[in-house]
Amino acid sequence: MKEKHQITDKYIAELYKFTREHFVEHYDVQTELVDHLANDIEQIWVAQPQLSFNEAKIISFKKFGIFGFMDVVEQKQKVMNKRYWKILWRFVKEWFSVPKIILTASVFTVFILLFQLRVSSIIVLIAIVTLLTFEFINEMIIKYKLRIIKKRKQKLFLLEEMIHNTKSGLLLVSVFNIFNFMNVFKIDFSSLSIYWVGLSSFVVTLFLVIYYVVTFVMPSKAEELLAEVYPEYKFL
Amino acid sequence: MGNQKLYKGSLQTIILKLLAQNDKMYGYEITQKVKELTKGELKITEGALYPALHKLEAEGMLDVEVAKVGNRLRKYYKLTEHGTKETVNKLAEMQEFLKTMQQLVNPKFSLE
Repeated sequence: MKEKHQITDKYIAELYKFTREHFVEHYDVQTELVDHLANDIEQIWVAQPQLSFNEAKIISFKKFGIFGFMDVVEQKQKVMNKRYWKILWRFVKEWFSVPKIILTASVFTVFILLFQLRVSSIIVLIAIVTLLTFEFINEMIIKYKLRIIKKRKQKLFLLEEMIHNTKSGLLLVSVFNIFNFMNVFKIDFSSLSIYWVGLSSFVVTLFLVIYYVVTFVMPSKAEELLAEVYPEYKFL
Repeated sequence: MGNQKLYKGSLQTIILKLLAQNDKMYGYEITQKVKELTKGELKITEGALYPALHKLEAEGMLDVEVAKVGNRLRKYYKLTEHGTKETVNKLAEMQEFLKTMQQLVNPKFSLE
């Protein structure tokens, strides 16, 4: 009887399962909620020792209101989104400072030269379609991996999913659309003034840098970033 | 238990003030502390507390620490330097608000 009034390892595991069942997919959010529920259940047991674990758990869960854990999950997603953009910006900035800026400037120059050629839009379109194809395959692989992790109920952090599930295909589609737009209005790149060529080259270079950071740099540094953002990462 | 709606806009200030007095606290501890201090008058709902904590964390006012307590991980919040400064501002704002409300609700005690 005495044992019943303690949150054992088995109960902790059940609480993690409970949060998953209530649409809390990520380990970082789950962990905070599990500790909260566990504390509350212990407190409930002090006042009403006759209650079973499940009964106490339901009482505690109801305190979150009719939306359950949704408010917590939504806010956490917003916060993590901000955090993601901050990290992304940190890496993008590197490409505009010494020494990487040399490479960025070279890419920029290549685009300026390229956009002045008559065949520029064809070359750019081919490049984007190639990248999109690569991106499509890449995203399929990532989605498959994430699904396996979720299925096996491994510990997946919110930021971890954001880093890997890059959605950078969207970024490429938006670049693609700029060119589509220009095609629709029959604007020929080579006829544009040098200022427009300069601006377009800069935008495309910036997109390329962001794409590179999102698709390659951040996923390759995932471990480091997770350890930086999550103090609990060291306990795993 | 009074009208909880009236307390709603003050949640962040309440959290900051508690953290200024207690170094570091975890979510459940905050709900309990508020209940204890207000003798049950104010019950911070769980669905509002964590979003508020996460927002303050994102704004750089809170720092987090995680410790293993028994068989579970516990997330502690503490004020950052920025958070400490902001607490002073928020408390001043709160005092101002209370004064204004006092004047509106109970004008005969006004000194002016």
